[in-house]
Amino acid sequence: MARPPSLTLSRGTLVMYDAPEAVMPLFTWDARAQCYRARGQAYRTVMETLMAARVPVRDQAADFQKLTLPLARETPPYPHQIRGLNAWKRAGRQGVVVLPTGGGKTFLAQLAMRDTPRSTLICVPTLDLMGQWYSGLLAAFPDANIGLLGGGSRDETPILIATYDSATRYAEELAGRYALLICDEVHHLPSDFYRTIAEMSLAPYRLGLSATPKRSDGREADLDTLIGPIVYSASPDELAGNTLAPYHEEIIKVRLSPNEQAKYDDLIRQRNDFLRQSNINIGSIDGWKDFIRAGSTPQGRAAMLAHNQAKNLAYGTEGKLRVMEELLANHADERAIIFNRDNATVYRISREFLIPCITHETPVKERHATLEKFKAGEYQWLVTANVLDEGVDVPEASVAIVLSGTATERQYIQRLGRILRRSKNKHAVLYEVITEGTSEERVSQRRRGLDGQAFSEPDWENVNAPH
Amino acid sequence: MLPTDLLRFRIKDGLALPYRVKPTPTNLKMAELVIATYEGNLGKRRLELKGQLAELEAGRQDWKAVRGMAHLLGNMSTFETGVSLEPGIVRARAFALAQGQPPSRRRTHEILEQLARELPSPQPISAHDVQEALYGDLEDQQHLTVFDPPTPAELCQRLELAYAQGMLYRAVNLIITARRNEPAHYKQILRYLKLFGLMATVEGDASHGFTLTLDGPMSLFQNTTRYGLAMAKFLPALLHVTKWDLSATLKPIKLAWLEEHDSEWSFQLTSEDGYVSHYKPPEEHDSALESGFTERFQKLDTPWQLEREVDLVPVPGSVILPDFRLVHPEGRSALVEIVGYWRPDYLRKKFDLLKKSGRQDVIVCISERLQLDKAGVDPSELGDRAVWFKGVLPPKDVLAVAERIAVEAA
Repeated sequence: MARPPSLTLSRGTLVMYDAPEAVMPLFTWDARAQCYRARGQAYRTVMETLMAARVPVRDQAADFQKLTLPLARETPPYPHQIRGLNAWKRAGRQGVVVLPTGGGKTFLAQLAMRDTPRSTLICVPTLDLMGQWYSGLLAAFPDANIGLLGGGSRDETPILIATYDSATRYAEELAGRYALLICDEVHHLPSDFYRTIAEMSLAPYRLGLSATPKRSDGREADLDTLIGPIVYSASPDELAGNTLAPYHEEIIKVRLSPNEQAKYDDLIRQRNDFLRQSNINIGSIDGWKDFIRAGSTPQGRAAMLAHNQAKNLAYGTEGKLRVMEELLANHADERAIIFNRDNATVYRISREFLIPCITHETPVKERHATLEKFKAGEYQWLVTANVLDEGVDVPEASVAIVLSGTATERQYIQRLGRILRRSKNKHAVLYEVITEGTSEERVSQRRRGLDGQAFSEPDWENVNAPH
Repeated sequence: MLPTDLLRFRIKDGLALPYRVKPTPTNLKMAELVIATYEGNLGKRRLELKGQLAELEAGRQDWKAVRGMAHLLGNMSTFETGVSLEPGIVRARAFALAQGQPPSRRRTHEILEQLARELPSPQPISAHDVQEALYGDLEDQQHLTVFDPPTPAELCQRLELAYAQGMLYRAVNLIITARRNEPAHYKQILRYLKLFGLMATVEGDASHGFTLTLDGPMSLFQNTTRYGLAMAKFLPALLHVTKWDLSATLKPIKLAWLEEHDSEWSFQLTSEDGYVSHYKPPEEHDSALESGFTERFQKLDTPWQLEREVDLVPVPGSVILPDFRLVHPEGRSALVEIVGYWRPDYLRKKFDLLKKSGRQDVIVCISERLQLDKAGVDPSELGDRAVWFKGVLPPKDVLAVAERIAVEAA
């Protein structure tokens, strides 16, 4: 009897030279290499179809490992974590679980790994999250061989945590090794670039995690084929009495000093003079494009520079630092995190107030150590740029001070999540410090859906441009 | 290469036209200024370098070119941390001392003063020194330690090539039409294709030229830009080959300044466009066997012409690149493949490919030292197209076969 046909993996694609009739529709004839080819992600369907048709095959594609993964801690899961896990398993271990930040996504993923003990690739968007998953998995599975890909590390372990960037870069090499693919903050995956991770991967089991799977380009629909459909979704309200601590929010308005105000007005005037002369209305998307296009002329560039400087003035004002100092003094016994939009200001705060900081430039080890010290109470304050935006676990903070706001809803929800962790007798408070009379106030309103109610001004005054 | 936001190009009728950077007095002057800025900052912090580069850009219509040149020079430079106090230690001490009382600038000053007294240092340090050292390891605080300046003309060439390479980041495929050419350096091309993980489909013949379509495995299913970066890296290698045209299909970038939204763009280039490669030129590395054969052939009195590595023989799923091609003035030609000293698996593959090609005009010269049976190869399949040789390969034997099997060019 002839040997069964072989199924091989070739740089993120499945290759058969003599594809059996049953799976022929799953493959495409590749005249370049004279073979039948399919995306790596077709692996499970191909194998299931062959099995159903009782067609033997030599599987030389998959190189998965079976692991033993007993959980080291006996923390009982919350009901929503069990529901999410079960829903995912019922869906054939393929799909997206939506939990608000603070809802214990990481723990749910650990349960999924315990119940699917196979080599696992975990993709995360930031080095911070990579550090967090690393610590979390080390604690959960102390005997497992866990490694990192990205941020200077290039391990080859049966459990591997990778940044989306690195996982994309090495997608071909990773494709056959991992049976379980976990994508944290899975809304990143459908981008042109990152989707290859899922398309090339053979992983028959796939788990996507997110607080807000929505994307501005609507491509979250692609997750259905890349990972699987949404199998479970819990809203922050559902979890409020469950894991999330009650919190309240306060907005503090800061005025620019007369000097700063004068400078701000001057910059905005420079910009607006240019806009008026060029007949550009940056309140609209098209107008904003016109403004960018005008940046290729020296005058346009000067106006864009003025626009950016005015924005920076509004965002990084001295007044906000005064408020921050006051708030920290008022909460002298609590742990606080300060958020700021730009790195330069984060370093300025760290230098001038000796508050430890974390930015995307902070080395992974130091970042990890700083967070550990903060959690342990050795450091009472922490200042950070947007690197903590997504799901980084800082359970002990009860005060958050947001020194500047940006307009996308996702960042806002997830920032809030930082302090919404369950903790005994904890009433978290979120301060949003904004500058009065500048664009930023409107950014904050837009986020709240109040856009256009309080302000009426000439169109060209509208700084509420897309950027 | 450059990040996308530093690329410069126009879109005209769906054609992507990267800016050229001709060695005009203006461009050379600009390159000279940027190079001088780097040279002037040797030993200084990146922050200062950046500041000076920003000044250089300010108010210039061509600021983007300045920034592009600066970026390329940055890639050719070495930056290192250059503070005497260890920033990590300073941070740990300072943050530890700062706990216990709410942060304030007044308190910061006291702590820095205290650290200036306590931190071990060869010379006295001030509170200001301590504050500077706090983040001395940041990228901006690193010092430019090594800079090997290119000439202004070289920098212009690099920038121009980087603009062209940048077009390929968004390429979904690349079609190279190679015109008749000798020596063709196809070996070099194939080597680079393999290095950058590209797949090639070859069509054509040696008399007219070849079309190579480059993409990657996933290209079969969708227009993907995944192989664009590899194509961009491949371009400088292609520049070492003469006589070709290149055409790439690009996935358009959504750009604010573009009026129209095309569904695709095209990028085109030829070997005559004047781009200069910074990759090392391919070395002519014939084996002793091949160069010996060439030498002996030149001494023969024969109308046959010997051409080196000019033919790509497409084989389903692969391609063969015979060592020589023999061309008779009357139009007949034959290919010559020398099989010298190789590992068994290589031999097997080579014979398999020759068989698959179905070509009857390939003369296979086999060293008698090879133990073909051990490699599992049956040379009798080659029939009378085989030439056996010991030590040196006599051109006369090869010509004798050529006279018999050469075919008219298509």
